[in-house]
Amino acid sequence: MTTLAPPGSPTPATGQRRRAGLLWYVALAVGLAIGLFSFGYQLSAGLTVTGLTNTVTWGLYIVLFMFLVGVSAGGLIVVAGGELVGSHQLESLNRLAVIVSGTAVAAAAVSIIPDLGRPWLAWHMMVGPQWMSPLVWDMAVISIYLAIAGVDLWILTRPEPMARWLRIMAVVTLPVAVLVHSVTAWIFGFLVARPFWNTAILAPLFISSALVSGTALVLIVAWVVRRVSTWDPPAHVFTDLAKLLAWFVAVDFFLLLAELVTAYTSQTAYHLAPLEMLFGGRQAPLFWGQLVLGVVLPFLVYVNPRLRTRMGLLVGAATLSVLGVFAKRVNILMPGMYEPQIALPPGVPAGRADQTFELGALYVPTWVEYGVVVGILAFSATLITVGVRRFVIPRSDGS
Amino acid sequence: MRDTDVLGSLLAGDDPNEGAPVAVERTSAIEALPPRSRAWGEIDVRSDTPRWGMLVDTERCIGCWSCAVICRSENDVALGMWWNRILTDGDDLDTPTVGAHGQLEMAWLPLACQHCDDAPCEKVCPTAATYTNDEGVVMVDADRCIGCRYCMAACPYGVRVFNWGEPEKAPGVTEGMVHARPVGSVEKCSLCVHRLAEGQEPSCVVSCPAQARIFGDLNAPDSRINQLLRDRGGDQLLKEKGTEPKVRYLPPRRRRSL
Repeated sequence: MTTLAPPGSPTPATGQRRRAGLLWYVALAVGLAIGLFSFGYQLSAGLTVTGLTNTVTWGLYIVLFMFLVGVSAGGLIVVAGGELVGSHQLESLNRLAVIVSGTAVAAAAVSIIPDLGRPWLAWHMMVGPQWMSPLVWDMAVISIYLAIAGVDLWILTRPEPMARWLRIMAVVTLPVAVLVHSVTAWIFGFLVARPFWNTAILAPLFISSALVSGTALVLIVAWVVRRVSTWDPPAHVFTDLAKLLAWFVAVDFFLLLAELVTAYTSQTAYHLAPLEMLFGGRQAPLFWGQLVLGVVLPFLVYVNPRLRTRMGLLVGAATLSVLGVFAKRVNILMPGMYEPQIALPPGVPAGRADQTFELGALYVPTWVEYGVVVGILAFSATLITVGVRRFVIPRSDGS
Repeated sequence: MRDTDVLGSLLAGDDPNEGAPVAVERTSAIEALPPRSRAWGEIDVRSDTPRWGMLVDTERCIGCWSCAVICRSENDVALGMWWNRILTDGDDLDTPTVGAHGQLEMAWLPLACQHCDDAPCEKVCPTAATYTNDEGVVMVDADRCIGCRYCMAACPYGVRVFNWGEPEKAPGVTEGMVHARPVGSVEKCSLCVHRLAEGQEPSCVVSCPAQARIFGDLNAPDSRINQLLRDRGGDQLLKEKGTEPKVRYLPPRRRRSL
């Protein structure tokens, strides 16, 4: 994002824009190369090159998966949401939002691959699925959602308007989108072994967090595309998104508060252990940081009519919202993993030849995991860039 | 009471039964033992359709880790992993709990796969790599396992281990009685399913010097495990999770004071 043209003129000089565009593509290529190299190294050595152990069996890859599934909600809000309430306020963002959504779902599906110990056997899930597993349900709904994004994009890019079909698609999209986020939550929420996740509020919470991060990302991408191209949506779309975000952030915070208060007042040991980790333990910096920087600060910008019209502040707030939701995913995954149900010494065998038993060991991702994540983010950014150039930016533009 | 003359005469070499066939006498002495003693390690009573279960007597357990160690060599468990381990009820592996009235007490919890009737790991496995066989043993088919580790997140007992890298062995160790599992797959206790096929008890049961483990067929009313379950009960670990383990625990009738 640092390679973008400087502010000032709405249409920067073509040469300058070309150079910025070239730098952006170079950055994407480097990111993809880092990702492929890291993944290749992990394939050859096994997951032993990650920071995962037999206690913390899921880490950064699963956090990224939860996050990317959530981010895909943007398209739903803008296209299906607008269509269903009969509003055409955000219509100009339709194509861009669908591209961001489709990319996020595709990237979420990709992000599961490096988490598998034997990714070359992943086809077993399709050939012989075990339908009791929420992971299989998730594979199914994610595939359907990806197909819906494709159909939506096809409809939106026809030369003649297809309003009726868009409406039909909106009706189909809404339940599928609710399912995508709910089923992703249920992967965790159905586990009796993890009391921290085993709560009915997890699915609603995943939906509310998805609405926050999805809407915020559409706002950020729209702002960037407007800066670097001739595409010029009406200015009110940004304030419209900000107003939506105010609601989404408030609901997301309320659901989290309801869960934490309920769990805390129960005062049972298996509820308190993860909460102590969040309030005063190893997750505390991320938890309080997320509440202040990822919830309160952006919310103040979204609700204040004077602040939300200042683009720099608004985009900054949206960025904080996206990062805040990512931090929230970490804070959901980690407290559920750290504490084994039978926490007696010497603990759980960590898993590698040079490791012994561990009890409450700290998970620290390795460079391999960060490298793979960089690659998946670069893959997402590439898809968005290509999609936006092809379908969003007016063709009359020289690039 | 003790007939020292016999010993004395034996040492002096004047055997009263000189010339008698000693070997025959020895054989008859062994034959006189109850059949179960000859068939030590064999499964006592089994029905036509067995449903295997294990009872761990925590009063008898002395925390020696013999069962954990033999499990490793029997099942070719790689370094850094354990299918079976002995947890100490206390602050540290060798630090006992302070019990009632300030007395030091020591107790252990041998922990391996609980072979649940309603196994959470089996329900979440996306490829049915984890399944329950006809005899109630929860198994992992390594050929089907894609290594997603969902089963590890779902298991309340934390008994599953993952092959993070290529399995490594201690120097000089060749292999166990079963094949090692491939990198990227999940593994765990199989109740020594290869031994069950030969009518033998799992190796942790036969190796326990305190005979704290009782193995048997829950479908056979006369099996020793069912007799003990009737007489002394048998607790399930984390019963509130509703997983219905076939491994049960006998609580200590008295705590072992130090």
